[in-house]
Parts: sequence; C-alpha cells; structure tokens
Amino acid sequence: MEVQAGNIEAPSLSLARRFVPLGLLLLIALIYPWLAVPLWIRFATEILMWAGLAQSWNIIGGYTGYLDFGHGAFFGVGAYITGIVMLQIGWPFWIGLLFSGVLASLLAMMIGYPTLRLRGAYFAIATWAFGEMVRQIATILNVTGGADGMQLPSLLNDLFFYYIMLLVTALTYLTTYLLLDRARFGYKVLAIREHEEAAEMVGVNTVWIKIQAFGLSAFFPGIFGGIFAYWITYIHPDSVLGAQLTDFMVVMAFLGGIGSLWGPFLGAIVVQLVQRILWLVWGEGTFYLVIIGVAICAVVLFIPNGLIGLLEGTGLFSPRESVNQLKKKIKW
Amino acid sequence: MKRLSIFALITVAILMVGYAQAQEKRDFFKIGVVTSLSGELAFGGTVTKRGYDMWEDAINAAGGIDIGGKKYKVQLVYADDQSTPATAAVGGERLITQEKVDCILGPYASGTTLALAPICEKYKVPHITGSAESPLIWLKKFKYTFGTIPPVNLGPRSAIQTLTQDVTPKPQSIAILGIDDAFSKFSAEAMKAAAEKAGIKILKYEIVPEGSDYTPSVTAIKSLKPDIFAMGNHEKAAIEMIKIAKELKFNPKAYVQHYGMSTPDFRKGLGKDIEYVFGISYWTENMKIQSTGLFKNPKEFADAIRKKFNVDPDYTEAGCTGAGIAFQEALRSIKAAPPLTDAQKDALIGALENLNIGTFYGQIKFATEGDAYHANAGLQSVTLQYQGGKLTEVGPPKTRVAPPKYPAPPWDKR
Amino acid sequence: MELFFQTIIDGLLIGGLIIIVGIGFSLCFGVMHIVDFAVGEWVMLGAYAGYLMVRYFGHDPMIYLPVIFLIFFVLGWLVYPLIFRAVSGKGHNPVIMGLVFTFGLSIIAKGGALSVWGYHIQSITTWLSGKSLSIGLVTVPALRFSGFLFGLLVTLLFMAFLYKTKFGIIIRATAQDRDTANLLGADVRKVGAFVYSLYAGVTGMSGVLIGALFSIHAAMGAKYATLAFFVVVLAGMGYVPGVLVAALVLGLLQSFVTVYIGGRYTLAALFLVMYGVLLITPKGILKRGI
Repeated sequence: MEVQAGNIEAPSLSLARRFVPLGLLLLIALIYPWLAVPLWIRFATEILMWAGLAQSWNIIGGYTGYLDFGHGAFFGVGAYITGIVMLQIGWPFWIGLLFSGVLASLLAMMIGYPTLRLRGAYFAIATWAFGEMVRQIATILNVTGGADGMQLPSLLNDLFFYYIMLLVTALTYLTTYLLLDRARFGYKVLAIREHEEAAEMVGVNTVWIKIQAFGLSAFFPGIFGGIFAYWITYIHPDSVLGAQLTDFMVVMAFLGGIGSLWGPFLGAIVVQLVQRILWLVWGEGTFYLVIIGVAICAVVLFIPNGLIGLLEGTGLFSPRESVNQLKKKIKW
Repeated sequence: MKRLSIFALITVAILMVGYAQAQEKRDFFKIGVVTSLSGELAFGGTVTKRGYDMWEDAINAAGGIDIGGKKYKVQLVYADDQSTPATAAVGGERLITQEKVDCILGPYASGTTLALAPICEKYKVPHITGSAESPLIWLKKFKYTFGTIPPVNLGPRSAIQTLTQDVTPKPQSIAILGIDDAFSKFSAEAMKAAAEKAGIKILKYEIVPEGSDYTPSVTAIKSLKPDIFAMGNHEKAAIEMIKIAKELKFNPKAYVQHYGMSTPDFRKGLGKDIEYVFGISYWTENMKIQSTGLFKNPKEFADAIRKKFNVDPDYTEAGCTGAGIAFQEALRSIKAAPPLTDAQKDALIGALENLNIGTFYGQIKFATEGDAYHANAGLQSVTLQYQGGKLTEVGPPKTRVAPPKYPAPPWDKR
Repeated sequence: MELFFQTIIDGLLIGGLIIIVGIGFSLCFGVMHIVDFAVGEWVMLGAYAGYLMVRYFGHDPMIYLPVIFLIFFVLGWLVYPLIFRAVSGKGHNPVIMGLVFTFGLSIIAKGGALSVWGYHIQSITTWLSGKSLSIGLVTVPALRFSGFLFGLLVTLLFMAFLYKTKFGIIIRATAQDRDTANLLGADVRKVGAFVYSLYAGVTGMSGVLIGALFSIHAAMGAKYATLAFFVVVLAGMGYVPGVLVAALVLGLLQSFVTVYIGGRYTLAALFLVMYGVLLITPKGILKRGI
C-alpha cells in the first residue's frame, strides 16, 4: 500500500487500475490531431500548454505553499531567450528551448534565495513585484526589441506544436508525480507547506528544498515560453510577461485543486474551454472573466480543494491526514 | 481516478465535436474579419468594425461585387482577437479552416496583425489590414498581407514640414515625448528623424511607459523651453499631457500629437484646450478627392458613417472601408466568383499588387518592393490643426484648407 | 534650480494621492491581516461611480465625494462577511485564502467593468481642473494640490480616530492581538467589518479624485494596486503613520527618477526599490510593520 503525500487518491487502488485510464487518455491524446480539425487542434494545444503551466505553478504554489504571483515572468523569460537564441545567435529551436528552461530555472533559484525567506502575503507581493520588474526591463532593453516586440521565424505546422506541447506537458506531470508524489523530496516539500518551523527542527534543509522547488517550478514555464514564441511568432512584453499570465495559472491551479496532481489539468481544461467556447458563441471575450472570478470565489468559500476535491469525492481535504501520513513515513 | 477519467473523456469528446464540416457552395463572398472586439484595444477595434461594416453595407446596397456581369453580395464574419496576438492567430485559423472565408480583413493593432499574418501565409489567404501601421509588418515581406495605411514612420514628416516651412518665425527647437508602445514609439522616432532633417534642435527625446504620470516628464520638458512640444502617442496620452502642460503653465509655441485627432474622446477630454493642437492624418472628410467608386468623395463617406453610427470618422474607418474596396476591385479584375479556389486566391494577390485605384480614401497602390512592402504607397500624410474648434487641414500647402496658426497663445491669454 | 523645486513639488503632490490609496489598504492588512488584491478595483469602481453621478445628475464630481464614501462603505460592509468566511475556512492558510478570494473579487470587478463599459476612456472634470497657482519659482496645479491636502486630511482623521477614540483603540488592540482583544470583549467580526468598509469607502472616494486627474477606464486598477502595495510595503504593513512618509518618498522617487534619469526607468526603479525593501527590511523602512 503506497502512501501518497499531497495526493488525494484512495491509497488502496492498485497500480494497474490507476494506469489504465491514464494510458487510454494518452493514447487518445496521441491520435487526437489526426481526428480533429485545425482549429480544435489549436485549442487542444492551448489547453495542453496551460495544463502544463498551471501544474508548474502548482509545484511552488500548491505543493510548497508559496504563492508566486510573478510566475509568468519565467514564461516570458523563456519566450525571449528562445527568440534571442534563434534570432541573434542563430542557433536552432531546440537549443533555444534548452537555454530557456535552464536559464529560467537559474533565475528562479537566484531570486528564490532571498525571496523565499518571506512568507505568505509578503512572498506574493515580492514575486508580483519581480514579475512586473521583468516586464519593465523587457520593455526597456534593446535586445528584446523593447516595446516593438520580437518576431520569430515562422514554422507553420500545427501538428508539430501540438506534439511538442503534449510532450512537455506530459513531462511536467511526470516530473511532478515522480518528484513530488513519490520521492522523499515531496515529503519534505509537504512538510514545509504544512509546518515549516517543525520541518526545520526535524532537520529538513528548508532553504535548499524551497530553492530547488522554485527552480523546478520555473523550468517548465521557461520551455513553454520558448515553444509559445516559436508558435505564435510574435512576442511582446505585454503578451508574454503580463500579469494576466500568472493570474491564469493561479486561477487554473486553484480551481482544479492546488496541491493535487491532476487539479491543474482539470482547472486548465475548464477555464480555457469556458473562455474559448464563450469566445466562439458570444463573439467577444471579456465576460468570461466575471464567470472565472465568481468561480474562484466559490471555490475558496465552498470547495477549497478545488474541482478535483468534488470529483474525487473526498470533499474537504484534511491537512491533518497528510501530516499523519508524513509522520509515519519520516518517523517523527 | 475513475471520475476524473470520465471527465477527461467527456472533454475529449467535446473537443472532437469540432469535426469536419462539408464544403459548401455559396453565391456570396464570405470575408473574415479579425479585430479587437474586446480587451484593451477594443476602442480601436470598434473603429475598424465601423469601417468594415460600412463597406459591407455600401457594396451590398449597390447589389454586390460585380464579377463578369453578375453581382455577388458580401458577408462579413467576425473573430475577436481579444487584443492579444495569440487569439488573433486562433481567430485567423478559425475563420480560414472552419468558416472557409475567401479572404481576410485585418486587425486594428500591429501586434495582432503580426501574429495573424503567418497564418494567412500558411493557408495562402489574402489579407488586408485597414489599420495596422507598424513598419515591422512590412519588413517581414509577407506575400499574403497588405495594408491600406502607410507605415507610421512616414506620418509625422508632414507635420514637422508644415511647422518648419509654412510658419513664421521658424521654430528652432523641439522636445519629443513618446509612449512606449509599438505605434507611439515609431511615431516619436519619426518625429525625431523629421526634426533632424529639418534642422530643428532636439532638446529632449523621451519615451515613457503607458499609464505613467506624465507630470515629471512635462516638468522636465518645460524647463528646457522648446518651441514645439511633440507627442508620439494615441489620443489618451495626448489628452493627459496637454492637461498637465496647462496645469504646469507650460507654453510651447506648438503642440503636435499623432493619432486620434478626430475622435470624440479627444474632443471631450480637452474641450476648449484642444485649440491650436496639431495632429497627423492620412485622410480627412474635407479633402478634395473625387472618386467613381463607392462614395464619390470623403464628405459622402463621412455623412454615411454619421448616419449609421452617429460618430465622425477618422482615417482608420476610411482605411478599413478602403481595404474592402481594394478587395472588391481586385476580385472584379480577376473575375473570381465565390467560393474562391486556391488558384483564385493566388491570382487575387497578383491583382492586389497591380492595383492602382483612386478612392474616396485616396490612392490605393500597394508597394511591391522596399521596406514598406505591400503597404499603401499611394497616400501622403497631412497635417491637421484645431482652429475655432474645427479640425482643419493646414498642410501640405497644395491641399490645405487654411494656413496653420502659429504660435499658440499662452494658456492664460486664451 | 527652478526645475529642482518643481520636481519636488511634483513628487509631493503625486505622493499625496498615493496616501489615500494606501492608507485604507494598510489598515485593512494591519487589523485583519487581509491583503486586498482588489484595492485597485475599488479605485476604478469609485472613479466610474463619480463619472456616473456626474453624467446623470450633473454638477461637479467633488460634491459627490461624501455620497460615494457612503455607497462604498455599504458595499464594503456587504462584501466583508464573504471575505471573513474565506479567511476562516477550514484547514487552509487563511492569508492565502484571503489573497485568492480578493483576487477573485478583483477579476469579477474588472471583468464586469470591461463588459459593461468596454475599454472606452472616460474623464471627469471639476472646477479645479486646469487651474494652478504660481508660487515663486514653482507652479502648483490646483487639483493635485487639493488631492494632496485631502490625503493629509484623511491621514489626520485616521490618526485621530485610531489614537483618540475608544473605537479606534479597540481597532488597534484587535490589530495587535486579536485573541486577547476578543477575550476583552471586542467583537472582532464587527471591528473587521467596520475597518473593511472604512477602507472601501476611502478608496472608492480616492477613485473620484483620480478619475478627475487622470482618465477612467476598466483596467486602471492595476496601476493603483501597484502603488498601494508599494506604499504599504515601504511603510511597513499595518503601520498607518508610515503610509504618509512612504507615499511622499515614493512620489519624490517617481518624480526625480523621471526628470533626472528618464521616464522609461521610473517603473523599473520603483519595483526594484520595493523588491529591495521587501528583502532587506520587510517590516518597512521605519521597521514598524507587522
């Protein structure tokens, strides 16, 4: 019987029963583009990207409990780095992506060192300030094209982008599962979320763990940013570094269920579909914001575990439970 | 997990609902429009919608586009780009692959146009934007994208020329304050270049982020005492800058701003203080242009817009209606009936490149080489000024309606 | 030299406006430990309220200030129980829940405003608009000066209220130690509701002033949320007297950076300062925050 920290699954489900639906899902995802029209391939690609982004936020926000309101900065940084690598240095896309992911990670770890010392609201505000600062800097610098934005060469292949988003999103979820649900690293992270002082007393190196979690959470947005830049071909401080990017990530993770593995995926699907369907049906695109806002408030008030709490039938998630499970594993 | 899987499967099912639709036969032109109907550029998107709708009404009132003797009506299908490049791309994809439009009329802003253009290249669908002005678009040399408005960096030239050649005493110095967005920054740079060429001393050239408090910037400019205060911007920033100038008792001899001269927002925002302000345009309703096509002259167009929408048009509306006219004439010349085949769409590109027509909006002739590839090379910018509360064309000298009023009297003497 | 003095005046006047936006916000955090992410939206709604009043009833927007205060006070009173519920939910971190809830509120407000008014820019003018006083070397715009005076007045009133009245003392007690205050008879919920409503009222009022000075549009909130955060971080969260100092410092910083370095760098400089303060002295430059 496995004890899953941070995961709301019923522990008695056997491996096979869990993985069969997952495998089916993956299969459908793989053959989907051959069945769907270009528009819906595009929609699906968007959903995949957001599912990955929301999960990356979940790593630092949900699992570690540090609400990062500037997470979009890593996405934008990744977008610009890939752009710069491809345009100014002339290296291929893959190299750009690699740089994007690694550099975004390093950036996170660097600013994480001082910033993760702050708690709660202070951390939220500090990261939000950081995000805005990055956006201002991108507007000022020449290498980013400043307010003119940057135009990348165009690769017009819907399938390529669908599969690459699928790959990276799958990687994000796999990594989250392996490192945060299964590994000891995950227990330490959970301990930090639930009771940081206690974790320190027990000997967990909270500073280092937090920095690692933050770095990990920034790696995927960096890559997604690079892919996005190549996909949309035109990037601009407002379109890749705006606060609304972080807002979406937070909303999706929260709506789906922070701290859970599949919550962000659920949240991304719901939010993005609602937005796009309303866009198709009503022809304009701002009223969905009101719906999303109401949904967020409703989630906070009534289902703090997010939609996944509803679906899993576990309703309210007791931190006591996970702490007990934690105690058993680490043997306090 | 089980419930989650069911939910996921339902989602996939929804996503698959958008599955293929049969190719239709139709006897009207279906033209897609991607523009900002929501989001922060919605005010501009609405302007383009008016221009495009006006064209649709007018051409349909005339029976439709004449293809080899038979007339085909036009139906516009809109996609909102939500003021973001990503949605502009999705919108374009949707119009082309789902709605199967014959061609596309383009967005208000340059950023969204830049994201839409590659989609049009990929599907080989002709695309004309009646509004986007960034030189960056034309530098990319998109084969399938055209624009009826000349690039923004050509605009300010006329205003600076008017101020240096047609006024006495000739201004010696200028201070330029531009907003840090794609359009405004190009505008400010163009003002700077034109000033340098005209031999006017540039005392200060500053770019500030949109939404800042402009007071300290204007304070700094005031202390340098320039003759001309030039603003590279849209009307919202100009309103604030001029208000601040008045409050700080800053009295340059001329105010020059770029976009939005005729918008009601601009007039309402400044009220009486709008007097003497110079601005830039490519078209006004008082211009002396005659045309044989839709709308015989600018006044007729302006009256039609006023009748239908109860606003005064500015050059963006005109440019958008002009874009429609460009498609109309090009389609007529290749005698292509809807729905357009791929070969016909390519032929349309050739027709657009060969186009050289006079319209109520001015000459439409798309450049086929150079930095302004596929932008409209047939228009010259004009200088406008508010005189007696009326927007008056004061330059270039050959087409102007009244001489420019310079210098502007100080605030306390008005 | 004239430029130097004018820059100082500009900075102080900018600061005056920032005070009003920051003071309620600071109190809100100090007493209830709630960071209201919707602070910018209260400003925006206040500005629109002022605009609507002028549009339907005419006259100068300034005469509606008391009315706007009342309207927003009531709105705050109605909204607070929801926030309270969010913050006292089971299990999760209350500060985080409060943050996310007010974040949701801000999205509703902004989305609603965008849907109703679109992105058209409105403006309102008062009899003070466009007027200015020349004092020696400097020119002082009248409306801004009134905003500055108003900010000082509000600060003084707040201070008087908090330090000299019985209810004010109860509020400060609740801020310092909620549980003890509860035990001593303070109705924590009522205190919270009152403080939040006060904050909503003052912030809504500031929206009218800001609307008269700048332009009104649905997305203007973000800018003022930024300023409120700045001020409160610099002042030390919850330390109301610090707001005055911090607001003026920020106004001067903004003014001097724009005039002597360049407008492009102002926002980046401000964020850098805020970020730096959070790292070095999270309790504010006066070290009196919570």
